[in-house]
Amino acid sequence: MGVAGVIFDVLLALALTWLAWQATRAADLFHAVVSFIVFGLLMALAWVRLEAPDIALAEAAIGAGATGALLLSALDRLASRERRRRLLYEPGAAWGFWIPAGGALLGALTLAAWKLPAPGLGNEVRAALGVSGVEHPVTAVLLNFRALDTLLEIGVLLLAAITIWSLGRAPSPLIPAMPSPALPALGRLLFPVFVLVAAYLLWRGSHAPGGAFPAGAVLGAGAILMLLAGARPWIRSSERGPWRWILSLGLVMLLAAGIAGTLAGQAFFEYPPGTAGPLILLLEVAAGLSIALLLFALYLRGEPCEHGYRGKGR
Amino acid sequence: MIPETAGPVILFSLPLAAAITVFIRPRWSVPVTLGASGVLLAAAVWVVGVVLQQGAWRHDIGGWTAPLGIGWNVDGLSAALLLLTAAVGLAGAVFHASRPAPLATVRDPRFFWPLWLFLWGGLNALFLAADLFNVYVALELVSIASVGLIGLAGGSAQAAAWRYLLATLLGSTIYLFGVALLYGRYAALDLALLTDGVERDGVTAVAAALMTLGLLLKAAVFPLHFWLPAAHGRAPPAVSAVLSAVVIAAGYYLLVRLWFGPFAPLLGTGVATLLGLLGAAAVLWGGLLALLQRRLKMLIAYSTVSQFGYGLLVFPLAAAGAAHPAWTGAVTLVLAHGLAKAALFLAAGAIVLRHGIDRLEALGGDQRGATLAWVAFAIASASLVGLPPTGGFLGKWWLAQAALATGGYFWLAILMVGTGFTAAYLWRALQAAVRPGREAGIDPATLSAALGLAALSLALSAAALGLAAPVLGVLLDAGPGAPG
Repeated sequence: MGVAGVIFDVLLALALTWLAWQATRAADLFHAVVSFIVFGLLMALAWVRLEAPDIALAEAAIGAGATGALLLSALDRLASRERRRRLLYEPGAAWGFWIPAGGALLGALTLAAWKLPAPGLGNEVRAALGVSGVEHPVTAVLLNFRALDTLLEIGVLLLAAITIWSLGRAPSPLIPAMPSPALPALGRLLFPVFVLVAAYLLWRGSHAPGGAFPAGAVLGAGAILMLLAGARPWIRSSERGPWRWILSLGLVMLLAAGIAGTLAGQAFFEYPPGTAGPLILLLEVAAGLSIALLLFALYLRGEPCEHGYRGKGR
Repeated sequence: MIPETAGPVILFSLPLAAAITVFIRPRWSVPVTLGASGVLLAAAVWVVGVVLQQGAWRHDIGGWTAPLGIGWNVDGLSAALLLLTAAVGLAGAVFHASRPAPLATVRDPRFFWPLWLFLWGGLNALFLAADLFNVYVALELVSIASVGLIGLAGGSAQAAAWRYLLATLLGSTIYLFGVALLYGRYAALDLALLTDGVERDGVTAVAAALMTLGLLLKAAVFPLHFWLPAAHGRAPPAVSAVLSAVVIAAGYYLLVRLWFGPFAPLLGTGVATLLGLLGAAAVLWGGLLALLQRRLKMLIAYSTVSQFGYGLLVFPLAAAGAAHPAWTGAVTLVLAHGLAKAALFLAAGAIVLRHGIDRLEALGGDQRGATLAWVAFAIASASLVGLPPTGGFLGKWWLAQAALATGGYFWLAILMVGTGFTAAYLWRALQAAVRPGREAGIDPATLSAALGLAALSLALSAAALGLAAPVLGVLLDAGPGAPG
């Protein structure tokens, strides 16, 4: 690594620390939220420097994009400017406990990680890649070697959406006050690009960085952008429509793939010989669709109405 | 189909499949949940039977062996906790389905059932997992489902759910830091591989400290119990039952797995005594506060803080050389506590429904409609106190033997004083039944007998656990986790 790389990494680390401090300690909540979004973008850059482009994509779309939009619209609902000031600012608790405790944790982690041998499992993954059905090691880990983790993670996303729905109806109106008249037009223009990028990432996943999580994240973020640009959310909570099926699709398909292995007399989640490639592509499409829709559902902050958004509903 | 893999596959898949079904078709919720619960109980009994017959076994997911793949590990300890989950899950589902609809405190019952089944699925995944990262994902399922279920009670329960969310996410994150350090050090996440490969060095010590801290927070061990009483005391009754009986036990289960597995070389007298002292403080502090409560459900919630303190006594007793009786005793106590505590919460739920209030002084008077619930309460209390021949007695007996064998008279004294506290606060609750009461509450005819029966079946199971001592001893000896 050249000197320029070292200088860049040090600057990146310093900027991340400063932004994290701003995000947690700024007295003005708007300031804090913007710091958080910039933190997410720089974090994506850090993942690129660590040669983990898959994580960088997901971090940019979810950490900066979807979470940032969620925080901004939550801020929009805090009515007065007075309440935007940090009401939970308790210097006593912060300096008396949280900052020393966090500092001790960081110190212990740094000391422990300083001389970590980090052997990793790269060789094992490469050795088994030939029979995994895909050529990209990250996809092989996520949808073959450790597919059980992925199943449970999609379960966590679906569960989170159900938990948010259980808290009540989605607030109306969902769209924050629009500062720029150009945004709706721009959002509509951009959405096809989001769909295209998501489809490309999904297809790429079998042999290069990409796959269900980044593709779903990009598609979900695009849908949220459409919503911010004034589109009416089309998702319904009605039992009759397809939405609950699509939300559950990823988990359903992963469970089915797992059980199919057992029914075929093999191990749980063991793909029949020669079918791993097509099966993984199928699972990726299902999981990507569900992830995109689940991220969008999380953004609605509540259960959408049964019969259309601003309909009379319950 | 290989017969022994069918049990774990059903236990893992069925709750999740049922959760999706009742999410997509809410009006099928009750029949689907009750049907799935029955099958899950049968599958758990079957898994226990297989472990008793042929000992522990391992299933490699996807046919990939560790360190590349993830494994399921079924041994005596995990089978026992899977069975506890199924028993509490079935009784809780029956209780919740039998509540009189207009009185239901759950605001939106459509979402109770998917959350309930997701919680069950997360717990089963956790007890099966032999992989530290897979455990983390299962913990996330358990945490988020618990938060949603607590919040369903509305009002002040939502604030309690929020505090619980923050506490439990902090615990998960600290646990995950430890997992990452272990992976960076050993390139393995599998419990068995780590148990064979772990060395005593700084990185391992930091990882052990972080993972233990995270799990102590999740198991609500003194002084990290601050979030528990409000969350368990304000949730709907069936939710309180499963949270106190199984969700807390899941944190404790992982502590035992880790310290009798990979971290066993690090379990010196110092660490063991520290954990034991935390347990002793929990027994005394939780017992004292339970004695001071004025609401029935808060009394039972503080009792959970106190009872899990006994579980931590396993560490000093094992470090002193009595690993086997201490381990068997502590696990038995956790199982007996789970059954008895779930019975207490369900009984309390029925009693509170009858009287419309949960202040202790208002629970007297006409007990029609709540008689079965009070009987269940009394039997569960007997087990929690440790009267022979209940499961609570058996666990305390084994723990006391371990203390006597190693000269640990301090720990024996804690056991005795804690038992005194338990008897005192449960007696206070039972006394409320025979006081003259106010003539209020609802018509007893609207209360289904199933409410009391759900509590009674769990209370009787807690009592019968003591009679199953020989079987339980064999079961808990099966597996790599059991100290020989």
